[in-house]
Amino acid sequence: MKRRAFLKLVGLSAVFHHWLLRGVSAAEGPLLAVAEGKDYAQVTRNAIAAIGGMKRFVKSGDVVVVKPNMGWDRNSEQAANTNPIVVRTVVEEALRAGAKKVKVFDRSCNDERRCYVNSGMVAALKGMKNVELKYIENERFKKVELKGKVLSEWELYDEALHADVFINVPVAKHHQLTKVSLGLKNVMGVMGGNRGAIHKNIDEALSDVNGALKSHLVVIDATRVLTAHGPQGGSLADVKQLHKVMASSDIVAADAYATTLFGHRPEDISITVAAHKRGLGEINLKKVRIVRA
Amino acid sequence: MLFLLVFLVLFVQTEYRGSDTISAAVNSFFRADPLVLVSYLAATRSFTWLLFPALLTLIFTLLLGRFFCGWICPLGTVLDLVTVRIKKTLPLQVLKGNLKYWLLLPLVSSALFHVNLAGILDPIAILLRALTFFLYPLFGGAVRSGWVGLYRLIGERRDHLAPGFDLLRDHLLPFRETFYPLAFLSALLFLAIVFLERYETRNWCRNLCPLGTLLGLFSRFSPLKRFPAQLCSDCKACRSTCPTSFDGDALLQEECILCMECLGACRQKRVQFSWSLQKPGTGAFLPERRVLLGGLLSGVLLSGSFRFRRPEAEARLLRPPGVKSEGEFLNKCVRCGECMKVCLTGALYPAISQAGIEGIFTPVVTPRLGYCEYNCTLCGQVCPTAAIPNLPVSQKRRAVIGKAVFDKNHCLPYARKTNCIVCEEHCPIPQKAIRSEIVEEIDLNGKPIRLQKPYLVEELCNGCGICENVCPLEGKSGIEVFAVKDKTPLKEVALGSAQPAAVLPSSAGKAEQNQDDPYR
Repeated sequence: MKRRAFLKLVGLSAVFHHWLLRGVSAAEGPLLAVAEGKDYAQVTRNAIAAIGGMKRFVKSGDVVVVKPNMGWDRNSEQAANTNPIVVRTVVEEALRAGAKKVKVFDRSCNDERRCYVNSGMVAALKGMKNVELKYIENERFKKVELKGKVLSEWELYDEALHADVFINVPVAKHHQLTKVSLGLKNVMGVMGGNRGAIHKNIDEALSDVNGALKSHLVVIDATRVLTAHGPQGGSLADVKQLHKVMASSDIVAADAYATTLFGHRPEDISITVAAHKRGLGEINLKKVRIVRA
Repeated sequence: MLFLLVFLVLFVQTEYRGSDTISAAVNSFFRADPLVLVSYLAATRSFTWLLFPALLTLIFTLLLGRFFCGWICPLGTVLDLVTVRIKKTLPLQVLKGNLKYWLLLPLVSSALFHVNLAGILDPIAILLRALTFFLYPLFGGAVRSGWVGLYRLIGERRDHLAPGFDLLRDHLLPFRETFYPLAFLSALLFLAIVFLERYETRNWCRNLCPLGTLLGLFSRFSPLKRFPAQLCSDCKACRSTCPTSFDGDALLQEECILCMECLGACRQKRVQFSWSLQKPGTGAFLPERRVLLGGLLSGVLLSGSFRFRRPEAEARLLRPPGVKSEGEFLNKCVRCGECMKVCLTGALYPAISQAGIEGIFTPVVTPRLGYCEYNCTLCGQVCPTAAIPNLPVSQKRRAVIGKAVFDKNHCLPYARKTNCIVCEEHCPIPQKAIRSEIVEEIDLNGKPIRLQKPYLVEELCNGCGICENVCPLEGKSGIEVFAVKDKTPLKEVALGSAQPAAVLPSSAGKAEQNQDDPYR
């Protein structure tokens, strides 16, 4: 209990002494929380509290978008989608911090109705007030001038662009093309059009998109991870229980740390490297202040 | 009226609504349809308990007459509803006589020769196809484009109305706007039947409908009869009241649909329906022998002349999951369109010419438009005759639709030396039917590149077509699914383990691991 009290203190001080925290982080690099335990709701709360609490990101009356990965018609234990308990907890925290409305969506790869149900998200968010679990509607994609290295423009989802706070909640998993799929890759879920076509330059393309759509908070679900046959998996033989949740406001740092869970070095992942070079965050974990919670 | 409502409710229910199983679908109407039963028996020469309700309908028709036409048939009810607004001219003489037998008999006899065309003219199938292929997409498309238009007009403020629209979408609208080939033909057939109403009431039912004709044959034995059996000389009001049976002065027992209109309308209270075993004296039981033989013979001709198939079209003739033999499938398929209605991703489309004329309106998987969803079993669930077998999901996943083939002249890593593997990413088989090897090559700009070149593991491919569907190339895909004769289901090991790795001493997939997989 003492530790939690301490964390609360850290969280509260972060709220009331925002300048202090900013000063500290400027001096010592970004903050990353790694929480571990079997009660995933508590683990998620701990991770968020350890980087200053949800109130650091969500102000009263904000419209918040929580973007999990629920792109596949796989169930929760198959680890292709974000753990619904983690998503639910992030949503709860956002509401508690004063969010007016929390929207949850993903442009799925399989039939969206099946994905939303089978991922466990429909059941997890059922009956929550001011929470909308909604399907993607094509008319909402807006052409955005990215002026990036490989994408000059692309259609992005307006509800993600217009949100006051965009919370990126990926599941950490294997990906055949990019080795791992994490926060930077999860943003593909708000891309419209023929998004498969970006695979030929996926590292630079994702930097272009992430440069235009900032993830204010990244919560990576590594409660269980898919270690092979990603991003879809399907066989429980490929699933490993890690019982971890990471949180950071630095998407590159969060991805970099999560990469190490798979036995890779952050520098091996071209998406992370490209994003770091663009100034989207810190790839060198020695420069990241890692808080265990 | 009630049954039309039931029909429409079931129609709307024939869709994925958040549950893996559909408890009640519109297929119950076809399972109670004796024309489906008779043509199924003729074509497959076997009985299925799925069609037991149709047998009951026949037995009740023997007892009661054509109550099905008057009380149950949804197309009949639709005609009753519209006919009051259509002015009548004189009956068309060309439809009278034996024309209806010329329709029914060839259908049944060609079914004997394994060309089961009954569904093309089955009234319930005609109505369902008009709804599925034409009216429902039109309705859905109209509402959807209104909704989209509203967004263009008022933008985000549309969200205030979203709960209402979501309700509509979840319970009434088609989830996807799918437009079908042959929508025009389906609509035309239905509208032609409505158009015929300007000559006389229930024109289709009394002069053409093969189901009605079939039921008419049985209803002759019905002991439930209307009295008096002819028009009363002093009144004759029944001639205009009765929708089907008074072409002349005598009641045509085989046309009486027991609508009971005459009972309510008779001012003299003379009309009654009562049981009588007396044999009616009106006409011969069957039409002339000439018609009988001619009808049967033309069925043979029909079965022969519709057989031709273009082999190159057949290469892409992909049947729904679980269909093993094309012949057996054609024997059983009613062409009702339910599978196409229910298909989650809009993968099933009515065949135009892929399967020859004999296969018109039968469902074909068209992967570039939609793929077979790995965990979905809905088409098998709604098929009234099990032409698409109702497989449990574990078996359906292993059922082979076809096999994918890479086209290296189009596929990006081969043709343009860029990375892609979107197909591998989407392949739903846990052990992956599409894999890739990593090669160091010089790309088209002369720079060294680490390319992932995909290849297919044929034993693991079930032909679901998601690879062809998601291929980011425009128009033609770099990987395509082709039909195969050998539809032996995939081995269970392909679908991976349902047990966590810790419980499994040697993981099933280990031997097949990709060599570049860094985690092993």
